Amino acid sequence: MAYKKGLFKTSVGRKNLMAVTGLFIAFFLIIHLVGNLILIIPDSWFPIEFWGGVESAHDMYNAYSHFLVHFWPITLVAWILYISIITHVIDALLITLNNNKAKGDKYQVTDNSTSTWYSRNMGVLGTVIGLFIFIHMAQFWLKYKVLGTEHDLYELVVTTFKQWWVVLIYEIGIIALGFHLAHGVESAHRSLGAYPKGLMRVIKYIALCFSIVMAVLYAIIPIIIYFK
Amino acid sequence: MNLTLKIWRQEGPEAKGKMVTYKVSDISKDMSFLEMLDVLNEDLATKGERTVEFDHDCREGICGQCSLVINGQAHGHESHYTTCQTHMRSYKDGDVIFIEPFRAKSFPVIRDLKVDRSSMDKIIQAGGYISSFTGMAPEANSIPIHHEVAESAFDSAACIGCGACVATCKNSSAALFLSAKISHLAKLPQGKVERMERVVWMVNAHDDEGFGSCTNTGACAMVCPQEVDLLDITRMNYEYNRALATVRS
Repeated sequence: MAYKKGLFKTSVGRKNLMAVTGLFIAFFLIIHLVGNLILIIPDSWFPIEFWGGVESAHDMYNAYSHFLVHFWPITLVAWILYISIITHVIDALLITLNNNKAKGDKYQVTDNSTSTWYSRNMGVLGTVIGLFIFIHMAQFWLKYKVLGTEHDLYELVVTTFKQWWVVLIYEIGIIALGFHLAHGVESAHRSLGAYPKGLMRVIKYIALCFSIVMAVLYAIIPIIIYFK
Repeated sequence: MNLTLKIWRQEGPEAKGKMVTYKVSDISKDMSFLEMLDVLNEDLATKGERTVEFDHDCREGICGQCSLVINGQAHGHESHYTTCQTHMRSYKDGDVIFIEPFRAKSFPVIRDLKVDRSSMDKIIQAGGYISSFTGMAPEANSIPIHHEVAESAFDSAACIGCGACVATCKNSSAALFLSAKISHLAKLPQGKVERMERVVWMVNAHDDEGFGSCTNTGACAMVCPQEVDLLDITRMNYEYNRALATVRS
């Protein structure tokens, strides 16, 4: 039917796309975190019988990263992830441009007590995260996966996080991510239409817990490596 | 009490507006906000100056005509009141009060504090109705409706279309207004006939009128005089996706 305008063209459709890509990225964050928690496993835990008697975090992390690069389903998921991130950014720009067009003249006085600062500044937080992803990928993904100049990823990560300013950049990026998730995960479910009241209440709670857990666990990795 | 008012004055839709300062004195705390403006206007009329124009009608919180952004908040800082139901007891002697019109591209200023909200009528015209036979009122109990469903539909139907949601939204989205009508009709059996088409038509009309996308900040529901639930927007998104996923010839 002609009245259906497609995803990129309506205010609700654009938000759907934002939600689907955002939730996929959020799901990826869980997997990414689990893998990288290997970096902070205490030495005293090794050897770990469950993982075939692996001797050290060094071996375990490198085996894990080798697996990621050489297992084709992961490559497929990685491509879906790249597409999701790019779509999320383009869609965000489209929505923001359209919303700016909809705005009237500025108010002389504004009272922002009716909403949280992070829900109003998703674009700013997203830009910080975008810059952070750029640096993050240039440091590891580019050197290890694309150029192949580094073969010992564990060594690369540990030496990188021994620089205080790198840790600082990571903490800023992760704090932005935490706030972005705090609004984004709940908002995505709203955009997709999870309307029953009880369901939304549960989602709201889970989304908040999720963003706090993600932010805290991601934040401690560079700090622990720095002080190790 | 004596107050300083900083009011947006604008000659016409194309004119450039500015904030003008006025002093009002001997304001009773029992007056409504609009009565306080009446006092100012009487004062201006006596002096032979042009009075401040603002929208108002019933002055009892049900018509949705009054607007005004008072000190940065639509309908003033008291949650879930219309401007006409805001009283001067909420203010102190010597307060400086900023009064501005509802601002959005889709709400062009007509004069001073009056804005054209007909863009909201266009949204309703696009699908905010049901088709039914005219004639005698049907027997009230011919369609059984669960009490909770009826109450929930009534909560959505309570929207008075004032536009405070748009004025408050950082994206000038009318999602709360739009979704209140969609939810109201989607919840009731009478609304089921056009359920699919209605949501698509109305969302399209909303976009065509130049309103922005909802980003779920929830600010609209915080100022809504009728306490329309933010969940109505979520419900609307569900209805929209359901309609898109359903193939109709």
